[in-house]
Amino acid sequence: MIEHIVFYSLSTLVLAAAVCVVTMKNTVHSSLFLGLSLAGVAGLFAALGADFLFAAQIMVYVSGIAVLIIFSVMILGRASDLHLRQVNEQWMAAILICVVSSAGLLKIAGAYRGTLALTVAKPGTHEIGRLFMGDWLLPFELISLVLAAALLGAVFFSRSEASR
Amino acid sequence: MTLAHYMTVAALLFLIGIFGALTRRNIIGILMSIELMFNAANINLAAFDRFLHPEGVAGTTLALFIMTVAAAEVVVGLALLLAIYRNTDTAYVEDYNLLKG
Repeated sequence: MIEHIVFYSLSTLVLAAAVCVVTMKNTVHSSLFLGLSLAGVAGLFAALGADFLFAAQIMVYVSGIAVLIIFSVMILGRASDLHLRQVNEQWMAAILICVVSSAGLLKIAGAYRGTLALTVAKPGTHEIGRLFMGDWLLPFELISLVLAAALLGAVFFSRSEASR
Repeated sequence: MTLAHYMTVAALLFLIGIFGALTRRNIIGILMSIELMFNAANINLAAFDRFLHPEGVAGTTLALFIMTVAAAEVVVGLALLLAIYRNTDTAYVEDYNLLKG
């Protein structure tokens, strides 16, 4: 019973905040709702028993990416943006695309209607650490290379023309 | 709760993300919608791990990789965005027509 309450309240939170992200006129508001939606996804991870993913979601998305996006909204925003239309004139076609793809996606989801979790969720951090240092060592090292490249690229692209 | 519940939430989140990426005029709005789509994929991976493969953590590990790539993507995207904004003085994608013949 409590599982149902947790699941439905978290998914309502996630989906409502996501709708606000894509429809809000004020970009600052929609970036704040993005933070709320990502926090709700972290709650869903906790409900799924993915403890390390829950912590990483809070640290990387809610306190990293969402804050970074809020900062850039505030740097790039202008007072005149509040009076401009934030949605282009193709929204009818976009809704059509969403309806067509939802038919397929929900059909796939319906195929797993009877799949229940048979075991109790257990902590997985130890296992993740073993996997990173064992079978997945090469992807682990490659992803650190990607992060270093992203760091250098961000510094390079965000310098002003004068200091180059 | 069955796997279908979690997959439905992930599918709806993904569709909201697609709608936002297709319709937002502001380029930061598009980036935010892409983040929503990444999160929908992560929910699916965590749910598959819990329901279909409970004795391993491969899905969670893959979700962590996706999270890292998403973080790198946002950092580089926002840096590029700042550079473009400095040159074109606008954040609206229909004004980005430098490559138009």
